[in-house]
Amino acid sequence: MTTLAPPAVRVQEPTTAKSGRSGSVVWMAIPALLMFIAFGIIPLLGVIALSFTTWDGIGDIHPSGLTSWTAALKDPGLPHAIWVTFEIMILSWLVQTPISIMIGVFLAATKKYRGFLAVLYFVPLLLSSAAISITYKALLDPNFGLGAGFGVEWLKQDWLGDSTLAMGVLIFVVSWQYIPFHSLIYQGAVRQIPTSMYEASMIDGAGRIRQFFSITLPQIKYTIITSSTLMVVGSLTFFDLIYVLTGGGPGDSTRALALEMYQKGFMANLMGPASCIAVILVLSGVVLAQLLRRLGGRGDESMQEGV
Amino acid sequence: MFNSNFSRRNFIGLTAGAAGAAALAACGSSGPSDKGGSDSGSKSGSASYWSLSGEPGEPIRQAAIDRFNKANADTKITPTFFQNDAYKQKIKTAIGAGQAPTLIWGWGGGGLKSYVDANQVVDLTDWLGQNAAVKDKILPSSFGAGTVNGKVYALPVETVQPIVLYYNKKVFDKVGVQPPQSYSDILALIPKFNAKGIAPFSLAGQSRWTNMMWLEFMLDRQAGSEVFDNVFAGKAGSWSDPQVLEMLTKVQDLVKGNAFIKGFSSITADSNADQALLYTGKAAMMVHGSWSYGIQKADGGSFVKDGGLGWMNFPPIDGGKGDPSNTVGNPGQYLSISSKASAADQETAKKFFSTTLVDDDEKAGWVKSGGVPVLKNSDSLFTGDDAQFLKDMSTIASGAKTFAQSWDQALSPTAAETLLDNIAKLFQLQVTPQQWVDNMNGVIGK
Amino acid sequence: MATVTVSGKPAPSRRRSPLGRLLRLNWFGGALGWVWLFIVMIPIYWIIITSFKTQANYFITNTFAPPSDPTLANYKEVIENEIVRYFLNSVMVTVGAIVPAVLISFMAAYAIIRGIGNRFLRYTNSLFLMGLAIPLQAVIIPVYLIIIRLKLYDTLLAIVLPSIAFAIPLSVLVLSNFIRDVPKELFESMRMDGATEWGTLWRLAFPLTRPALVTVTIYNALGIWNGFLLPLVLTQSPDQRTIPLALVFFQGQFGVNTPAIAASVTLTTIPIVLLYAIGRRQLLSGLTAGFGK
Repeated sequence: MTTLAPPAVRVQEPTTAKSGRSGSVVWMAIPALLMFIAFGIIPLLGVIALSFTTWDGIGDIHPSGLTSWTAALKDPGLPHAIWVTFEIMILSWLVQTPISIMIGVFLAATKKYRGFLAVLYFVPLLLSSAAISITYKALLDPNFGLGAGFGVEWLKQDWLGDSTLAMGVLIFVVSWQYIPFHSLIYQGAVRQIPTSMYEASMIDGAGRIRQFFSITLPQIKYTIITSSTLMVVGSLTFFDLIYVLTGGGPGDSTRALALEMYQKGFMANLMGPASCIAVILVLSGVVLAQLLRRLGGRGDESMQEGV
Repeated sequence: MFNSNFSRRNFIGLTAGAAGAAALAACGSSGPSDKGGSDSGSKSGSASYWSLSGEPGEPIRQAAIDRFNKANADTKITPTFFQNDAYKQKIKTAIGAGQAPTLIWGWGGGGLKSYVDANQVVDLTDWLGQNAAVKDKILPSSFGAGTVNGKVYALPVETVQPIVLYYNKKVFDKVGVQPPQSYSDILALIPKFNAKGIAPFSLAGQSRWTNMMWLEFMLDRQAGSEVFDNVFAGKAGSWSDPQVLEMLTKVQDLVKGNAFIKGFSSITADSNADQALLYTGKAAMMVHGSWSYGIQKADGGSFVKDGGLGWMNFPPIDGGKGDPSNTVGNPGQYLSISSKASAADQETAKKFFSTTLVDDDEKAGWVKSGGVPVLKNSDSLFTGDDAQFLKDMSTIASGAKTFAQSWDQALSPTAAETLLDNIAKLFQLQVTPQQWVDNMNGVIGK
Repeated sequence: MATVTVSGKPAPSRRRSPLGRLLRLNWFGGALGWVWLFIVMIPIYWIIITSFKTQANYFITNTFAPPSDPTLANYKEVIENEIVRYFLNSVMVTVGAIVPAVLISFMAAYAIIRGIGNRFLRYTNSLFLMGLAIPLQAVIIPVYLIIIRLKLYDTLLAIVLPSIAFAIPLSVLVLSNFIRDVPKELFESMRMDGATEWGTLWRLAFPLTRPALVTVTIYNALGIWNGFLLPLVLTQSPDQRTIPLALVFFQGQFGVNTPAIAASVTLTTIPIVLLYAIGRRQLLSGLTAGFGK
């Protein structure tokens, strides 16, 4: 399998893409397209339409031009929420990626406990946000939680009541849930690196650290891109976890865009501005996806696709 | 805003119409209630009913519906129960989509007003006029939160839930102090408890409404009930009262003076950790709703049974304007009838109102659960272990000069969200009292 | 979950030992791996011991102390509350959504890569990219209306259809990135052999893309399995409840029955962990066989 597609050989010439031939594949995209239009695009159009209205979510919908957009853009909560979203995205990426790679490398090399570890690592992924939030809220309780359990005074912090700590807790819980998954991906990628490369570099006298940077990292480049895409795009729509863990608090310290939208729309009954935030979210997603594709060195092809 | 209201129906058409041929095939307006058992036509009326799940309410609600369905073979009420937060999201989505259940359970106040403004619920004023017997069975003070613009849109049901000051008698004995009679007593107690390593007050600050209960009492005792009445009535600048600033400063002084347990912002009410702090003696006092009694009784071992739990109405603030008999909390829960339901279904719902919901079984059921019913003449039912507590709650509720509804329920959802947000920031010391007043004035009447 | 990965592939075990020798001394990664395992296990340990505590016992005993008086009452309550049915509902929704979602995403990804230059496919791809950040909360009311119009309200299919749609964008992105790296010569030689695009799709692209298919399957399946909003809004009767929805029903009006939730979490997680433990080799060989080129 590996030898079929060695990483170094990437044929970039899209010369085979002849319009005559592509006709025979177009239909294959139709089922996905129809499903996505029915339950993704049409609702999205509804939301875009709503962003030009005033609606409390209950009564009649009044078209109101740019009123909602003006209100949404003037709200100081919006730049704050964008900043929080950005912060969560960057921090969770920064924490998860190196740890996942390290653990992935370790898992790939360990023979003995790999099965055992891989099974245990998998468990956090299976827990719903309700279960996670109840667990962590209990553990973070300053009086009945971790601190009391271990008898360690340092662990009795105001975890969810302090802005910085709450953000830290959020990043930690996200990492707790997803690092295992990304580790497994990296494990797969590392095991696929041809051993001959390491053997050759050993002969050249390269140390382990140098091997890591000159062989391992470059070889898993595309895995890093994919894993990062999952992390970054996923963090945009993080909602459940923040909602149940901190509720956006303390104050608005962890109120990301998705949460800001929910609170505006479903709690404060301002569906117009909430829809505007939704549109902003979608646009950010598009930009990020583009960015990630270019980062992956695939910008050339993307350009040709015009996406 | 403009006359060109494009109705929700149009919006539904816009989204669903475009959904493709399959969607268009089903043009007849068919709602979830179809599934809920309202195959209208054949029966003389069947109502769907959505409410909250969980102890202690769900079994009593279910029992009421069973009684009704048994007594009325030709009609049927079909209940669906949802967890608190889930319910709030679900009911809003359903009503927003024009798919409300026949019977809408709620908390009255601002949420109810938004339904009224959207013509989603039936005006019950005339019906209650014709059925005075029903009206007379319910505590008059409970109707306030079910009334919008002088008209009754929701029937008070279930229980009256005043908020009280609980204290741990064992802890008071251990420290050798007396329960507070006034706010200055409270201030004097704070250092004494702190000195013994006991938190003066338990507070689940992560669930913002818990902090709000404090503000409700502090505002009432300091400035009287008029300030919030004005806010509720939508009078501009109502929060700009020097007494409000004074009250907010006092609250922040409490925070700074370690009146609340360390790390209170990390404690959540939904796990009942705040109540555990009280019955385990880690905290001496707690402001909480009357429902907390049942929880402490169930979870606290023999704490309540051994007389460890004390309770009182919040004490007066020296020099404050508020009437010390005033209380805050939930004057009841509320049931409304969807105006989108068929006439026959609405009749069924009204029959449910006039028979089952005001009968003696209903009253007895709620008393047994440890609650004070919204129905009159419940006192004779208060017996056993809980008699004293129930009697005291009943006295507080009926003796209150003003029974103010919880702010987050009373205000519109828009204002309530801002309120809770700012209250959390106030307790975090993230806003000054003046900023708080300015922020809150900004959403008056919204 | 396992359906996609049944075809057995020889695990590249032949490489393990030299690589293992090279990396065995990676003590830093090793320490990290074990520390992280400890971090992962604390909450899981807490869930398990709490599930054997009574609600009254819960705040009185030490957080991490095993229950002084272990009880199976929580498990009994959870089972009496038909957790088994909710579990099966979750399985049906997840499998019912993930299999079609991954298959049609795969087909679309193939078409997008093979049909480079085709305007229609280019627009289709752009549309999918846009879908990456559509927040479900924002579009839930229109989705609800569509489901009602389709007369699917309160059925499992109501959860399945939007779940498929929302799994498509990411799946297409990951899969198309993967298919793009398949050398063009391979497609060419398939064509020389007279294979149709349909045949090439299954015989060439499908096996080569397997690691990516495994990844998107797991990733999306976890999202659907734990999905809360769609089941909440689109279903109503207890018969159609899924696990996440069932969990919140152990939260009463005024509080949470923490031990009961811990018991239901334990009970519903065990079968999946077992399934994973059994199918792990197959599953991971998909990843191991060369995830990201």
